[in-house]
Amino acid sequence: MTSRVQVFKGVLWFLVGLGAAVTIVRFVRGLGATTALTDTTPWGLWVGFDVMGGVALAAGGFVVAAIVHIFHRKKYEPIARPAILTAMLGYAAVVVGLIYDLGLPWNIWHPLIFWNPRSPLFEVAWCVMLYLTVLVLEFSPVFLERTRFQSAYRALLRLQLPLIVLGIALSTLHQSSLGTLLLIMPFRLHPLWYTSLLPEMFFVSAICLGLSMVILESSVTSWLYRKKPETEMLAGLARIATFALGFYVLFRGWDLWRQGKLGLLTEGSFESRLFIVEMLLSAVVPLVLFAVPRVRRSETGVFLAAAMSVVGFVLDRIDASGLAQVWATRSTYFPAWTEFAVSIGIVAGFTLIYLFIQEHFPVEEDLADELAELRRYQLFELPRFDRQHLIWLGDPGFCARRIFSLLFGVALGIGLAFTPWSPLVARTPVERARGGDVLRVGFPAGTVQFPHAAHIERIGKERGGRDRGCAACHHLVKPGDRGTPCSECHADMYLPTRIFDHELHVDRTGGNAGCGECHPPGRPKAAGSAKACQDCHRRDMMTENERVKEFRRAAAPGLRRAAHGICIPCHERAAKRPGAKKPDLHRCATCHRTPVPHLEQLLEARRQAALRRE
Amino acid sequence: MIQDPCILTDVTKCIGCEECVAACKKANGLPAEDPPPRIGHSRDGLSATRWTTIIRLPEGRNVRKQCRHCLDPACVSVCPVGALQKTPEGPVIYDKSICMGCRYCMMGCPYGIPRYEWDSVNPSIRKCILCYEKLRNGELSAPACVAACPTKATIFGSREELLAEAHRRIAAEPGKYIDHVWGEHEVGGSRVLYVSDVDLGFLAWRDPRYLGREPLPHRTWEALRKVPFEFLGMGALMTGIWWVIDRRMQREREEADDRPRGEPADRAGDAPEGDGGDER
Repeated sequence: MTSRVQVFKGVLWFLVGLGAAVTIVRFVRGLGATTALTDTTPWGLWVGFDVMGGVALAAGGFVVAAIVHIFHRKKYEPIARPAILTAMLGYAAVVVGLIYDLGLPWNIWHPLIFWNPRSPLFEVAWCVMLYLTVLVLEFSPVFLERTRFQSAYRALLRLQLPLIVLGIALSTLHQSSLGTLLLIMPFRLHPLWYTSLLPEMFFVSAICLGLSMVILESSVTSWLYRKKPETEMLAGLARIATFALGFYVLFRGWDLWRQGKLGLLTEGSFESRLFIVEMLLSAVVPLVLFAVPRVRRSETGVFLAAAMSVVGFVLDRIDASGLAQVWATRSTYFPAWTEFAVSIGIVAGFTLIYLFIQEHFPVEEDLADELAELRRYQLFELPRFDRQHLIWLGDPGFCARRIFSLLFGVALGIGLAFTPWSPLVARTPVERARGGDVLRVGFPAGTVQFPHAAHIERIGKERGGRDRGCAACHHLVKPGDRGTPCSECHADMYLPTRIFDHELHVDRTGGNAGCGECHPPGRPKAAGSAKACQDCHRRDMMTENERVKEFRRAAAPGLRRAAHGICIPCHERAAKRPGAKKPDLHRCATCHRTPVPHLEQLLEARRQAALRRE
Repeated sequence: MIQDPCILTDVTKCIGCEECVAACKKANGLPAEDPPPRIGHSRDGLSATRWTTIIRLPEGRNVRKQCRHCLDPACVSVCPVGALQKTPEGPVIYDKSICMGCRYCMMGCPYGIPRYEWDSVNPSIRKCILCYEKLRNGELSAPACVAACPTKATIFGSREELLAEAHRRIAAEPGKYIDHVWGEHEVGGSRVLYVSDVDLGFLAWRDPRYLGREPLPHRTWEALRKVPFEFLGMGALMTGIWWVIDRRMQREREEADDRPRGEPADRAGDAPEGDGGDER
């Protein structure tokens, strides 16, 4: 009986420990140190999963409340309390997630007094605050049921129906407003996801996800505590889910057809595949599975279908708030491990709270009683908690189980060992490296390994060894030029470049016999008909994400920055040394023979500013 | 300060000297050197310490990028707390003390202008504010970047004047410019206009002409204005459904009670369930 739960809890405590380690870094060092977010991708995993996904995952609360209390399907009463508990904890988790994600989390209460009703996020913020309050009131009878606060308990029970109606109305609003949130960004969101019906789409998918989540949760709980699964009830819910999922599939298909976007599905692009995978996972396959009565009644069948649907719908939220925007932003964002650690840690922490409440309060029929009985026989050791008076009787330390504390501590240690300030993972700021062998240059489409030393060698040779040829890239002849994009030489990766050395290629391919290596036989031997460079040099040119376009606006630092950064500081230091032989070499006139008034003043001002900073 | 302030940038006149960048940094107290960008940052050069920048095109043109100060700004409409505000005169400004750091403005801007201080524990949104304070209290007569431009490639004036000027330039030298004033109509128009001989669609995430002339905030408002009605409607609907089903179940229970003993008792319990199922 116990081992399953204990192992599960052990894992959860470990994950909470990892999250706790990152928490320290997040609030001491800021978002930059703990996330891979950039100005291109200001919203990442914490918004996509914790906020967008979290709110949708907690939709089970209002869906089940509607089924049981509004539609009077009393058959489902036993799952109403767990569903509302999940919703309450889910929304609490969303708020915790937001505290991590907000840049200025201490201002999280600002929507209360600073109003902007035109903002969908303002509406979401208010709804979430109100709904969390409603959920706490809806759920508090469970806490109060067996205490001496009976009058409060009865008062809350009388309020139940208005609270449930209020909860449903609020949920409708903010579930759909999360879709409204994305309506402002037709330029980021892929057309397969962008539709003027985003709010409605989000509302319908929240209902589907809510149902699947309730099914999943119920089957996991019964597995965990080795209870008899509520097969009848789950089958009933699965039947309701088929209607919801079916409606969702038809609605989404109709919406695509209405906008004439069905053709995008067969495009074969990353987005079209992502969309198909998402639809299959979230709705189509679970719909088919739920529709088969035998699957509905099978413990594993219903679990698998629900799990798939949950994963699929969470993916939908992550797509909408991130993955489906990559086509526009060309972002290379991938969450840092620290982001995963926080997201998973929050879920683990709230699962522990969920289990604790399940075990100590009458949430699910008989579960808490059974466990209390077991505890009496010392079969199931837990911190002793007197729910009559809401006080602790046992060990004052919350982690009565030493193994949990140990796991938490170990995870905390591991987490801290890998935080960005730890010497274990000290990173070299490669982008600043000067003259290194290979520089990693970040492009919007990916990272390129730029062989800096090889460029110096080759360009130096081309210039007959007069200098290292820095100016070839770091400065062009145009006035005021700041830098050279790669495309200046590698004009188009699919065309021959102007740095192409024909003689060298003739030698390498074995003289005249080798023409056919590049020039197709029977066609004129011209640059235009030759094989593209990248057919042979693909690996020399780029390492990932071969998107040629992005090379256009990536530039090497200009001579101004490259030379001023290297020459001037050094000569400045030399000038300060006692007995310096050439104390004026850091002055502008050393290099700039002709007077450049603008530049002179500018540089002088900059140097003064820099000196002042020092 | 003039009403309706506006900037017109003529791409063909820009020599890319970056005097505007230096002037902007000086006027706004930004550090002269920009920290190295984070891996994966967009390479347009804008950053929290660089509010305007020059993008060098392979065509040999230099394009100055800065906040467009839209007439109906998406960033202002999406800010849940109103930390970004459109001033009565027009420039879009930012109030750090209100901001909570949700970064929705960065997502909502079609030009990808607002930048974040990622490495700070007390970060702000940073972007061009059209030297608003300095213009208003008379410290400057034109934004610092405009005043610094040696070739008058970027000029300052009222929107009406500058639109006329832009069209005049295009008409004066047919064939020199693309016949389009960037910022005149796209997503409702902006206060930073461009005339150019190269396509400037790259200044936005997607060519703004594709987005149409309707301001972006209209799209969200279309959904948001229904919110009160949705709230009341959903509440009324739920109460109604509850009342109807409850009343019917009550009646059935009464009927079952009235029925003489001996009749099958289980029918009374099952009936409402069955009815409810059909109804759904």
